[in-house]
Amino acid sequence: MPTVPTLRIPREEDLRSSLRDPAVAARVGVWLGVCFTVAFLTGLYSHLLQNQPGWFVPLTRPVWIYRLTQGLHYLSGVACVPLLLVKLFTVFPRLFTRPPWGDRRQLLLHGLERASIGALAAAAIFQLATGLANSSQWYPFSFSFRSAHYAVAWVAIGALALHVAVKLPVIREAFAAPLEAGEHTEDDPDEDDPDKDDPDEDDPDTDDADRDDPDGGAARTGLSRRGLIQTTYAAVGLTVLAVAGGSVPGLRRVSVFANHYVPGGGIPINKSAHRAGVTAAATAPDYSLVVVAGERSVTLSLADLSAMTQRTATLPIACVEGWSASGEWTGVPLRDLLDLVDAASGSAVRVRSVQESGPFRSSLLVENVADDPVTLLALRLDGEPLSLDHGFPCRLIAPGRPGVLQTKWVGRLEVQS
Amino acid sequence: MTAVRASLGLVGAAVLGWGLWLMLGLGVDRLVGTVTWLVGGVVVHDALLAPAVTVLGYLVVRRLPPRVGRHAIWIAVMLGTLTLAVLPSLGRFGAKPDDPYLLNRAYAVWWVALAVLLVGVAATWELVVVPRRRDRATLPAEH
Repeated sequence: MPTVPTLRIPREEDLRSSLRDPAVAARVGVWLGVCFTVAFLTGLYSHLLQNQPGWFVPLTRPVWIYRLTQGLHYLSGVACVPLLLVKLFTVFPRLFTRPPWGDRRQLLLHGLERASIGALAAAAIFQLATGLANSSQWYPFSFSFRSAHYAVAWVAIGALALHVAVKLPVIREAFAAPLEAGEHTEDDPDEDDPDKDDPDEDDPDTDDADRDDPDGGAARTGLSRRGLIQTTYAAVGLTVLAVAGGSVPGLRRVSVFANHYVPGGGIPINKSAHRAGVTAAATAPDYSLVVVAGERSVTLSLADLSAMTQRTATLPIACVEGWSASGEWTGVPLRDLLDLVDAASGSAVRVRSVQESGPFRSSLLVENVADDPVTLLALRLDGEPLSLDHGFPCRLIAPGRPGVLQTKWVGRLEVQS
Repeated sequence: MTAVRASLGLVGAAVLGWGLWLMLGLGVDRLVGTVTWLVGGVVVHDALLAPAVTVLGYLVVRRLPPRVGRHAIWIAVMLGTLTLAVLPSLGRFGAKPDDPYLLNRAYAVWWVALAVLLVGVAATWELVVVPRRRDRATLPAEH
């Protein structure tokens, strides 16, 4: 009678491999922690810019500061994908560790550790999945991306800190031990010899990495732990390079998987006039801009705006969706418009679009941004009149500001008391 | 070290708690959607992706000669992780008819080209670079 294999839930030892080792998990995990922290801090900065609590003063110099922080946010998030997948691969067998049922205290600690790891894994996958979906303007979920991504970011960074605290001894031990079985520790003088060959590098038939692997990992797969770590770093480089052109100047043609691409260079458009429903209002012959400060107000036609002193500034537009681009904007300095209604310097200004519904149709310029000499109500982009999709007849452009707050199709400026 | 661990753990737990508090503020419908995606992501990884990778490892990679197997892993890690990172682009799920600059590249074509390139790099490495290095290593040292 042939024996029929029985199916059962795997045990930790069933999935063991030389590649699934704390030495790999710790090294990949450090970079994963670094990338998550960068993404968290830059995301927090963007959140503060968009919500502007009273104590927060936005940075306006260098003018590309937000382009930098958002580029870092997007690319560090993208870098997390290979790092997280390999990290989860290395620790996957631990999912099947048997709980210490006989010892209540150990069982409690085991449960808490599992819960923190579960929170970390869930939050990390959630952040990457929703962030990547948002970068391509894909919203297959029923919740608001911004508020959920922000709340879960705190869960992720908190769970990360908790995880590092719990695992610190394991991490230290993993770094102190040799990466490959049979290698010497850092006390060995040979370790510092750059000419010393790594036996696994060129000789895939070596069994060095397999010495402590009861089911034969490296000898069967041919890849050492060092090889897996280097491959992970290479995957990070490849994945980042594949999309970085959306936010890194010079990589536009190389990054063939970037979500936004303007063939001849230029600034992408996140929301068209058609989608915003502003075509009629923005192109109306009687369009006018109203500037209001308390009881005082002035009304300016497009011709009036064009007749005022114009200033040209090179400023980037940077978007949370992973793209940014620089343009040469020409228009009226906002401060000149505020002077028409005798607004005191240091006044905050609410900028309103002629768009009647939808998010981001108004934005607040805090004092230092409103008074900045390169904060413009732009009429032209790269020497040409603004196109309708770029905000015709005029749009806000200010340094260090999220793209969604660079209000298009501006119809009203309200100086805040 | 104990104090550092304890401090980090307490700060981490407090920050995690703050995140959960913010989640509660999302409202019932949004909270349900958020929790569904939080749990769903782990289920997709632990019940589908990780077992699939494990089974492929056992059924395919371990049956290949080691020198082929390591390149198979290299290609799988490079291409597999990139594929998941650019999945929304490959599927063009967010494409909009009035936005010609969004998701406007031939992503599938570039994906195939990249796969071919990675296979080519692996083959070149194994067939050209490795034999040369081996030859160099076996030559007697010059004095």
